Amino acid sequence: MSNYFVEMDNITKYFPGVKALADVKFNLKSGEVLACLGENGAGKSTLMKILTGIYSKDSGTIKVYGEVVEDMTANRARELGIAIIHQELNMCHHLTVAENIFLGRELVNGIKLDNKTMNQEARKTLDSLGIELDPTTLIGDLSVSKQQMVEIAKAISLDAKILIMDEPTSALSAAEIRELFRIIKQFRDDGVGIVYISHRMEEIDRIADRVIILRDGHYITDMLYQDTNLDEIISHMVGREIKEKFPQVECKIGEKIFEVKNLNAGRLVRDINFELFAGEIVGIAGLMGAGRTETVRAIFGVDPKVTGEIYIDSKQVTIDKPIDAIKAGLVLAPEDRRHQGLATKLSVRENVALPNLDILGGIFGTINRSKEKKMNAEAVENLKIRLPNVEVPAASLSGGNQQKVVVGKWLARDSRVVIFDEPTRGIDVAAKVEIYNLMNQLKEQGVAVLFVSSELPEVLGISDRILVMCDGKITADIKNEQVTQEQILHYATQFEDKKD
Amino acid sequence: MMMSKNSKGFLKKIVSRRGVGQVLTAGIGLIIISAVFAIINPIFGSWNNISNLLRQIAPILIIGIGQSYVLITGNIDLSIGSVVGMSCMMSATLMTRGVSPLISSLITFVACMGIGLMNGFLVARFKMPPFIATLGSMTIARGIAQLVNNNYNTDSIGENANTFRDIFYYGKTVGIYNPVWIALILWLIFNFVLSSTKSGRHLYAVGSNEEAARFSGVSTFSTIMTAYLVSAFCSMIVGLVNCATSGAGTMDSGTSYEMYAVAASVIGGVSTLGGTGILSGTVVGASIWGVLQNGLQFAGAPLAWRNIVVGVIVIISVLLDVVFRMSKKVTIQKEEKQIQ
Repeated sequence: MSNYFVEMDNITKYFPGVKALADVKFNLKSGEVLACLGENGAGKSTLMKILTGIYSKDSGTIKVYGEVVEDMTANRARELGIAIIHQELNMCHHLTVAENIFLGRELVNGIKLDNKTMNQEARKTLDSLGIELDPTTLIGDLSVSKQQMVEIAKAISLDAKILIMDEPTSALSAAEIRELFRIIKQFRDDGVGIVYISHRMEEIDRIADRVIILRDGHYITDMLYQDTNLDEIISHMVGREIKEKFPQVECKIGEKIFEVKNLNAGRLVRDINFELFAGEIVGIAGLMGAGRTETVRAIFGVDPKVTGEIYIDSKQVTIDKPIDAIKAGLVLAPEDRRHQGLATKLSVRENVALPNLDILGGIFGTINRSKEKKMNAEAVENLKIRLPNVEVPAASLSGGNQQKVVVGKWLARDSRVVIFDEPTRGIDVAAKVEIYNLMNQLKEQGVAVLFVSSELPEVLGISDRILVMCDGKITADIKNEQVTQEQILHYATQFEDKKD
Repeated sequence: MMMSKNSKGFLKKIVSRRGVGQVLTAGIGLIIISAVFAIINPIFGSWNNISNLLRQIAPILIIGIGQSYVLITGNIDLSIGSVVGMSCMMSATLMTRGVSPLISSLITFVACMGIGLMNGFLVARFKMPPFIATLGSMTIARGIAQLVNNNYNTDSIGENANTFRDIFYYGKTVGIYNPVWIALILWLIFNFVLSSTKSGRHLYAVGSNEEAARFSGVSTFSTIMTAYLVSAFCSMIVGLVNCATSGAGTMDSGTSYEMYAVAASVIGGVSTLGGTGILSGTVVGASIWGVLQNGLQFAGAPLAWRNIVVGVIVIISVLLDVVFRMSKKVTIQKEEKQIQ
C-alpha cells in the first residue's frame, strides 16, 4: 500500500473545442502542503474540480487512499474526506455563518435542528482560526474577506483528510493570512494532505513542501520545494508552446489619443494611469484576478469609478455609462461573448445594428433597412464572418464567428479607441489570426487598440507595448522589445506586502 | 469591538433575521389600518365581524403558507387557484354521487398531490422555469375541475355532508370558527418544519444559492419537491373549505387564489427571489389582505377600490424590501472600504 492519499494518472478532460487536461498525473501525500502551480489556463482548477467530483474526467484513473474511485461525485468526495475551498465564494447569503458551516450536515435533536450546538461548534471553529465573528451573523452582512474566512472555516470543520485551497488568500488581510498559514501547518502536522493553489509566489515560499507544475493542460514536473527555487519554478511555468503565427505590422506611432489618469474603482482598480497612441496595440497582461477586466469595465462605464479622468484626443470626457463611452468614440468588446457581447437569440443583423441604431435611424425612429443591410454586408465582408446569411441567430455561429460579430458591431462606427477583453478566448487558431489581422488593421487606421489577454504568447506576439497588472495596480508599462515571458510573470506576481 | 456592540446588536440581529424586520413593519401597518377601519365604522371591531374576518383570512393564510414555501426556494406556484378548484369540484362530485365525505376527501387528496408531484418534477428534475411549468399545471388542474362533473357545477352535496361542512366551515370550536383552527394547526406544523428542521433549512439554502446548497450535499430535488407538495396540500385543504362553504362544487372556485397567495407572502416579507421570509409574515400578510377587503367593504368602498388598494399595498411592500436591500448593500461596501 502506497502512502499516497491521492494518485491521479493519465487524467484527460475535454471542454468544447479545447483539451483542458492531457494525461496529467498528480499525487498527494499525507502531511504535506503541495503547491499546485501554473499560469492562467494551465488546468489547475480543472484538475481540482475533477478530484472533488464537480467535473467528470474523460479518461484516466483516480485513486484515493490507494483505492480506485470510478465515479467521483461531490458527495463521494465528501465521504472520502476531500474538502475544497473554491476560488469563487459559494455561500448562502441569507443564512447565518453557523448555518452555512453546517449546511447539508445539520445537527439535530430528534427532528428539531440543534441550533445551539451548531452555533457553539461554529464558534469553536472560528475561534481556532482566530476569527472574531458571531456565528449568528448573516453571511450577506459580511465583507468579502470575512466570507472567505467562513468558507475556510467550513472546509476545516469537515475534518477533511484532503484539503484543497484554490486561491484562498486573495481577499484576506495580512493578519488573516498569517492565521490561515498557522492553521494549515497545524493540519499538515496532523497528517492532512493539503493542495494549495496560488499565484502569490511569496506564499508558496512560506508554506509549500512540494510543488507540482502544470502548463497548457500538461503535467510538467513536481519537486520538493527545498530542492528548487522560485526562478526555476517560474521557468517551468512559462515557456508555453507558441502555436499561432502572429502577424506583425509596422506602424509609425502617432499622436496621443487616449489617456487615463488616476483611475480608482474598488479593490481591483487602483491608481491606474496610462496612455494610448495612434498606431499601436497595447496588451494588458496579468494573472486571474489582477483587475484587468475590472479596469476596462470601469473605463467603459459599466462599473462606477471612484476617481479618475479620461481624455480622448486631449479632451476630457465624462463616462458614467457605456453610452457616454460610445458617444465619445470608445468601445469595448467584452470578455464574455454569450452574456455581454451578444444577444444570442437575435439574428446577426440585429446584433450588428444594436449599438448603431443612432446612425441607422430613419424618420420617426424607424430603422433604415437599407443602411442596416449595407452595414451588415460591410461587417461580414471586412471580418470574413462565415455564415449562411445575416438572419441566422448569433447563437448558431461558432465561437470564432461569434467573436467576429462582437467586433463587427463595434467597427461599424468610427471609434477612436477600441478595447478588446480576451478577444481570442475559446476560438480556433485560424479565427485567432483573423482577429489579430483585424487589430492590425485598426492600428493602421490610426485607432488606439487596447486588449486584455491571459495568453502570454499572444500578448508578446501582437502588442507594441505591454501593461502588466497585479492586484489592481499596473506594475509595468514596457515596450515590447525582447521582453520575455519570465519578465512578465515577474511583474504579474509583484504583490505588495500586505500591511497589518 | 465586536463584543462591545453585542448588547445593541442583539435587537438589531433579531430584526434583520430572515425578514423579521419586515414582519414587524407590516404588523404595525396591520394594527394601524385595523384601528382606522374600527374608527370609520364601529361594526368592524365587533366580535361578530372579527370572527367572520378570521374565517375570511383562514383560507388565504393556508394557501399563503404553500406559496411561501415555494417562494422561499426561489420558485413560484401558479397552480394554487386551480388546485383549489379541482379539490372543490372533485370532492363535491364524489359526495353528490354518494361517496362518504372522508373517502371523497382522501381521493381528492391523492389527485391534488399528483399535481404537486408534477410541478416538483417539472421544476426540480427537468429544470423548467417554474412560471411556465406551473402555468401549464394550472390550466390542466382547471380543466380537471371542469371535467369531473361534465362541465357543470355540482348539485348540493347533501345532508350526509353536514358534518363535513361543519368541520370545514360552519362549525365553531371554543367560540372560533373551525377553518381558523385548521389554519392555525397547519401554520403551527409548517412553521415548525420551516424554522426548526433540516428540511426547512434546506428550503432557505436552495432559495438563497442553489449551487452552494448542492455543493454542500443538499438534495435540491427533494427540497423543491417538498415545497410544491406542501403547496398542493394547502390548496387541497382550501378546496375542501370552499366546497363546505357553498355546499356544492363550483368550477371557478379558487380563481386568482395563486395571486392572493403571492400577495399574502410578499406583504409579509417573503421575497419572490427566494432565501428569505418567515411564516409569521404570511400571517400578517394574509391578515392585511383580509382586513383591507373586509374593512373597505364596511367603509363603503366599491370592489374596484378594494382591488386598487390591495394592489398598491403589494407594490409598496416589495418596494420597501428592494430599497432596504439596496441600502444594506451600500453599507457593506462602505465597511469594506473602511477596512482597506
